[in-house]
Amino acid sequence: MASEDEVNLLVIVVDVNPIWWGQQAQREPEFTLSKCLDAVMVMGNSHLALTRTNKLAVIASHCQDSHFLYPSKSLGGGDGAADDVSSTRDGKYELLAVANSTIAEEIRNVLSKAEVRGNSTDTLLAGSLAKALCYIHRVSKELEVGQEIKSRILVIKAAEDCALQYMNFMNVIFAAQKQNILIDACVLDSDSGLLQQACDITGGLYLKIPQKLALAQYLLWVFLPDSEQRSQLVLPPPAHVDYRAACFCHRNLIEIGYVCSVCLSIFCNFSPICTTCETAFKIQLPQMVKPKKKKLKMPA
Amino acid sequence: MASLSEEVLLVVKKVRQRKQDGTLYLMAERIAWGPEGKDRFTVSHLYSDIRCQKISPDGKAKVQLQLVLHTGESTTFHFANESTALKDREAAKELLQQLLPKFKKKANKELEEKNRMLQEDPVLFQLYKDLVVSQVISAEEFWANRLGGLNNAEPAPYTNKQEVGISGAFLADIRPQTDGCNGLRYNLTTDIIESIFRTYPAVKQKYSENVPHNLTEKEFWTRFFQSHYFHRDRINTGTQDIFSECAKQDEKGLKSLVNKGVKNPLVDLLSLEDKTLDEGYGIKQALPSTSNSNKTVKESSNAAIIKRFNHHSAMVLAAGARKNEVPADQASETSSTDGNSRDSDFFQPPVKKVKLQEAIEYEDLQRENRQKTVALNLKKSDRYAHGPVPLQSQKYTTSQDIINAVNCIRHEMANYKPNLTQVMSSTAASSAVAALSPGGVLMQGGAQQAINQMVPSDIQGELKHLYVAAGELLRHFWSCFPVNTSFLEEKVIKMKSNLERFQMTKLSPFKEKLQRQYLGTNLTGHLEEMLQTAYSKFHIWQTRRMMRKT
Repeated sequence: MASEDEVNLLVIVVDVNPIWWGQQAQREPEFTLSKCLDAVMVMGNSHLALTRTNKLAVIASHCQDSHFLYPSKSLGGGDGAADDVSSTRDGKYELLAVANSTIAEEIRNVLSKAEVRGNSTDTLLAGSLAKALCYIHRVSKELEVGQEIKSRILVIKAAEDCALQYMNFMNVIFAAQKQNILIDACVLDSDSGLLQQACDITGGLYLKIPQKLALAQYLLWVFLPDSEQRSQLVLPPPAHVDYRAACFCHRNLIEIGYVCSVCLSIFCNFSPICTTCETAFKIQLPQMVKPKKKKLKMPA
Repeated sequence: MASLSEEVLLVVKKVRQRKQDGTLYLMAERIAWGPEGKDRFTVSHLYSDIRCQKISPDGKAKVQLQLVLHTGESTTFHFANESTALKDREAAKELLQQLLPKFKKKANKELEEKNRMLQEDPVLFQLYKDLVVSQVISAEEFWANRLGGLNNAEPAPYTNKQEVGISGAFLADIRPQTDGCNGLRYNLTTDIIESIFRTYPAVKQKYSENVPHNLTEKEFWTRFFQSHYFHRDRINTGTQDIFSECAKQDEKGLKSLVNKGVKNPLVDLLSLEDKTLDEGYGIKQALPSTSNSNKTVKESSNAAIIKRFNHHSAMVLAAGARKNEVPADQASETSSTDGNSRDSDFFQPPVKKVKLQEAIEYEDLQRENRQKTVALNLKKSDRYAHGPVPLQSQKYTTSQDIINAVNCIRHEMANYKPNLTQVMSSTAASSAVAALSPGGVLMQGGAQQAINQMVPSDIQGELKHLYVAAGELLRHFWSCFPVNTSFLEEKVIKMKSNLERFQMTKLSPFKEKLQRQYLGTNLTGHLEEMLQTAYSKFHIWQTRRMMRKT
């Protein structure tokens, strides 16, 4: 239905936090990283198979860096790739076969080399999203004349949010919104406020899956159609997003608070001096009326 | 019959109305017509009722005058006197022309204002129809709050008109027409007369001096056009013209204008003169000397015309600038732009300085004079970087756990081979599909039909009208509290009965209509709640009043 010239780019960002996945393997041996990656591959293959002009990219988001699983740098030349392809011999569409084998090889490399240090155990999701945006930008610059591109990012999240990445995350979200790039989120474990905001702002879909085993089904049902087709389908309704700000002093989420007019920091209680910028605030107290002293009349 | 105190301004005999002969009387406040031989008037119209008058064109055989009233009816009078029909008609028309404007202003401005408001605001019009036409409240109450502005005599913003300037070609617009035999017809409208007066105050002076004592208006203008003052070749040969003085005054004015020069020191008009390099470059002959004897006749008439053009243009511009002083008396009309002032010289130096300064300085090249600002001094700027994620106690993972997990995953993925035929079991898939189908676990809370898609649009429109009307009534009701005066007491009681009437006549039928159409949604609940609140408030007030009385 889409015109021949429209390129649809899907970037899948997979959270491969080894700590979480390792623990997950111990918790639920049926659903491990392998199964997850299988589901991602099914999704990617389906996307590529839909239209000839569809493009795919897969990024693995790790504790230390983000790594492109597909397309990989070694894809350009090398006989290694050709060998792999010819070895499948099952008549599979070559593009899909290449994609699968590349992803598998790359993830093996990533996880075998990775070393985790104790202080950085959080997934670098903001960085991966930034890389995805850069890739999309690069692809859209490399288009031929007359071709249009529509891109979206699908985030498959496993571990918890990292509060330190908040600023970067918000920057990425607003950049994506400006570029009209949808951010979809498929959350496996715990709800993520940041991703909920991302989906709300950019117009994507946020879904927390009740059953991890059926990940592929959820991906194909909800996240495979692009934004035009989504308006024709009945999909899960958007969740209510908690946009409340947190006060700077206690980090409580507040609905009504005090804002310093100089530095715009938010407080839950009034204090005469703003602790961030040290501005003094004067509030007029109600005027005290001094009682008049009555003169006593002295009897003559 | 006309009352004895009425002053009769004009009587015209032999005026037919509806094929009957009779006499037309123009009184101080009305126009009336009575048939021949009878004493009473069959037709009588107050001037304030007459919207406009019309006359039949000159060429027609019947000489008629028609009066159109505000109500739209019209009365036609046929002037049947053979010899004086036209004159009679003209006399009647002139008189009416003078009298009608006086009475027009007294016409009910309020009524016009009301009509205008109703026409401009369809919501107001609908409200009026709902409330007043259906007798829920009276018209006075409706207009009580809305016409407040009119009594303050504030000029509405739309009546502010811009001052109209004078067209430079107003004299040319007069365009004389030949009258057949050697005569010229000049058509003077009031606009042209006004332009002439504004541009040439000298003429206005002459007019006020001579009319109506010495000359009629017609004579004055005839003389004006006949005078050489008006014509091209203004050869001032001391004629007995009343306008010769005007010509002399114009000359004087022009001279002083030239002497005054231009205010801007950077504009040098004299450098625009024709200069010749030598004979053959530029002007053929030598510079004309200013002595009269050297000028040829043609040159002098050209110079005179050019002088007149310049003067005319200067007067037109001056009249535009002088607009605020027009009603002032003659003495003050000699303003500075006229060339007759003494204090224009006084203002010369500051103006010159300003102009020079404008030419020298450029605003953007100046040093910026911004106010001194205070720098922002943030002590704990890392607070901004932390998002609204509240500091939760994170799951503590021991380093041993970490190492275990990492090893486990590494081991698992070392031999990873995608197995795409066994991604998930069919039971898992079907349960996922069930969860995603409408009514499933994940689909709760969404896809509710908006109420405006379920209710037909005419019902929606009617509901809107009901809300507007109810809102208006409730506003009147609630504005009565606190009830301090007896007027408010009466109003409160009246408003309560109005509300009840509204509920009975408008709300209940609407509810029944909804029920008949099987619309399940409760559209009138809120309206009823509002009315109920009003009723209970009234009840409380009434009981309190009873208690106070006893």
